[in-house]
Amino acid sequence: MYRIRFHGRGGQGMKTAGRILGTAFFREGYEVQDAPRYGAERRGAPIFAFVRADKNPILERGIIRRPDLAVVADDTLAPVPAAGVLAGVDAHTLMLINTHEAAETWRQRLALPGRVLVLPASAEVEDRAALPQVGAACAGAAARLVGVIGRDALERAIRQELGHLGEAVLADNLAVALHAFDLMADEAGSLTERPPQIADAWQPPDWIEIPFEGADISAPAIHGALTSELMQTGLWRTLRPVIDRDRCNRCWWVCSTFCPDSAIRVDGEGNPHIDYDHCKGCLVCLAQCPPHAIRAVPEHSEQGGGA
Amino acid sequence: MSEIRFTNVKQLPSVHLLGSGNPMCAGCGGLEALHQVYDILGANTVFVNAAGCMTLLAVYPFTPFRGSWLYTAMASAPAGAQGIRDALDVLKERRGLPPGEDMQVVVLTGDGSAYGMGLSATSGAIERGLDFLYLCYDNEGYGNTGQQASAATPHGARTATSLSGIGFVGEKKPLFDIWAAHRPPYVATVIGSEPLDLARKIEKAKAIKGPRLIIALSPCPTGWDFDPQESVTIGKLAVNTGIWPLKEYVDGKVVHTKIPRRRVPVTSYLEAQGRFAHLFKPQRNEAVLAEIQAKVDAYWAGVI
Repeated sequence: MYRIRFHGRGGQGMKTAGRILGTAFFREGYEVQDAPRYGAERRGAPIFAFVRADKNPILERGIIRRPDLAVVADDTLAPVPAAGVLAGVDAHTLMLINTHEAAETWRQRLALPGRVLVLPASAEVEDRAALPQVGAACAGAAARLVGVIGRDALERAIRQELGHLGEAVLADNLAVALHAFDLMADEAGSLTERPPQIADAWQPPDWIEIPFEGADISAPAIHGALTSELMQTGLWRTLRPVIDRDRCNRCWWVCSTFCPDSAIRVDGEGNPHIDYDHCKGCLVCLAQCPPHAIRAVPEHSEQGGGA
Repeated sequence: MSEIRFTNVKQLPSVHLLGSGNPMCAGCGGLEALHQVYDILGANTVFVNAAGCMTLLAVYPFTPFRGSWLYTAMASAPAGAQGIRDALDVLKERRGLPPGEDMQVVVLTGDGSAYGMGLSATSGAIERGLDFLYLCYDNEGYGNTGQQASAATPHGARTATSLSGIGFVGEKKPLFDIWAAHRPPYVATVIGSEPLDLARKIEKAKAIKGPRLIIALSPCPTGWDFDPQESVTIGKLAVNTGIWPLKEYVDGKVVHTKIPRRRVPVTSYLEAQGRFAHLFKPQRNEAVLAEIQAKVDAYWAGVI
């Protein structure tokens, strides 16, 4: 059985990537499961999509814990724990990362035990949550890596899944997906099925037994205030608002009032300060700042990554 | 009632009580309103949250609040508020809880609960004269599950369950009027993009005893389909087009607190949101657009 996991952000088309790949497998005579998984609906949030394909009926359900192929549409997800990019990745897992950087860089950075391939990221885009057609590119590349999906099956799958979006959208996605398919020609069939696991070989996990506690002890009760501040929602950001101190006229803290996330603090002299650990990058401050003293900078260049 | 504290935007709080790091969407109009409301109510506030987007605010062990939070089913937040209010009253009477430690009990629900499932429980709470504040963040649909239509969805909006050529065929339920018809001491509409108006109303509501009900229109980048940075701009358009009238019901009378001098055409508001895109492309649906404009005009003709 092939087990493929797609990682991306809400808005990047991971659900669609899973559907395209699943449909392409189906057209090649496979039994298929494809399903997206996301928590709350939110643009920019980490999204997973799963595809299983087999010549025999698929009896497995649920999330894919040990993928044969993990496709990472957005390399800024790698450090986000909730994205789970590395979950269950072992020596058998092939990683395909959409990035400007080299495969070897990622292999070392993430200490990946298996092979790493790079899907060259498209031209510089300001907002990573709006990477054009990245979902189609991921599906096209994955289809070639599997090695059992023909170009024609991929094309027909895309027509089937995206046809309702109109000719222009369809044509763009087809071009991107088929280009990615062709790019992976040398790696066709690199993705192999994991040998089936036998129940007899199963070892219990090395876990710790926790004694049962009464409800008065174990029931959730939060006694600390503001514990949400431990969550670094700044990792969501694809664009970073930066205040130009020379232009800021220290007004009635418009940016601080309008920031939905309480992420802009005003000091005693009336200067606003953005809390980059928590700023989600909505850019409401940029849109509302009366003297236009806030600009947006792509987050990946600010972090020293990217091209 | 005490004098109004907020006469100028410069008097608005610059230090905020709501913690950052919560999982609401970037640019959430509901969070925008909540953080402003919390600043005015103060830390001695206990929130009773019906299931909805804001359920995610306090996912164990994380909370953005400085005090307690109670989670209830969609239909029963006002009942939860009754329990907390009663408990606080018992503590005051029998255990000598100092007045300074008493709390504002605030029901926090989305429109799915406020306009629909929880309406009956709210009606009962108003009838019993429960001393609580109801804050509805109204993003005009079941946003947390993918923007299915709710009783608050406006005519013509596309939702996950309104895929007809014109979008949602029904009309937004007039919840303000329904609540006001119960004759509670205070009902108001607010929006996060008008922070001064919001602060004045919450300050006023805070000083009143009994049921006080607030609806905050909450521009929703995810469900309404617009760029998160437009959240406040779209809120201002909702007010300036007259689509979201800012008003309050107090002492048996409805007073409009901000009457747009010259109303912007509703198309400016609609065109800015993907949920109304089908009314403009591939061709403009003049009939529906005119209908929406006519309803707004008729509303204001009755006001001015």
